[in-house]
Amino acid sequence: MVESPGVTVILSDLLHLPIRDDSGRTLGVAADARFEITDDDSGRPAHARLIGLVVSRRHAGSFAGYERTSVTAPWPIARYLRWRHRGSFLVLWEDIAEISPQAVRLRSGYGRHPAQL
Amino acid sequence: MIARRQQAGANPRRIDARLSLLDRQVLDADRVPVQVVGDLELSHVSLDHPIPPGTPAPVITALLSGPVLATRIFGGRPPTSRLHRIDWADVAEIDVALSLSVRGDTLDVTWVERWVSEHIIGRIPGGHSDPQ
Repeated sequence: MVESPGVTVILSDLLHLPIRDDSGRTLGVAADARFEITDDDSGRPAHARLIGLVVSRRHAGSFAGYERTSVTAPWPIARYLRWRHRGSFLVLWEDIAEISPQAVRLRSGYGRHPAQL
Repeated sequence: MIARRQQAGANPRRIDARLSLLDRQVLDADRVPVQVVGDLELSHVSLDHPIPPGTPAPVITALLSGPVLATRIFGGRPPTSRLHRIDWADVAEIDVALSLSVRGDTLDVTWVERWVSEHIIGRIPGGHSDPQ
């Protein structure tokens, strides 16, 4: 696997960071990180590659991920949490221009992808 | 089973870290609980530098365990020296819990338990016997 230059970080360094577009406008906060797991021939998860960041427009915390899954029960909680996290979207790694300890900056023309798993 | 149910048979499959990895129980090769996943170590992230287009995405290199509760609530991060690593290469399965392919007594994260067992519990009469 080809590896990019850089430093080792922990996931907590990325979560909760503000997500900004190329003009500096804040779009939301990083609520989660999505990974692609590739199993080897024996079924072992050989690689876990970062696909992108789930951006919540309002809240960094996302209890149980109701807005990203098909779970609908208990319905009052599901409806409330879906409403609370309405507008969440996924930004791909390819659209990330820079990561700093203060914010994540996206490239111009970045895409907003559905947050649903 | 959550990730598996959602994407049965999918390879590769996609998961969200906070939903399917963080706070999950980690079991060793003998199905003995070892730790919970406190954080994840990612490789090769360029900080404070523009990321050139086409740069390969970071990958998870290790599961981390340590005093992360306070930093999750109040922010910041625990000192690296307080975090114990389990190499991602030792992860055998991702399910409701994460299973390892190695025994827990070979991991740094269990050194406190091993020390207490050897130096305190082991000196108590009967402390070397397995519970019935």
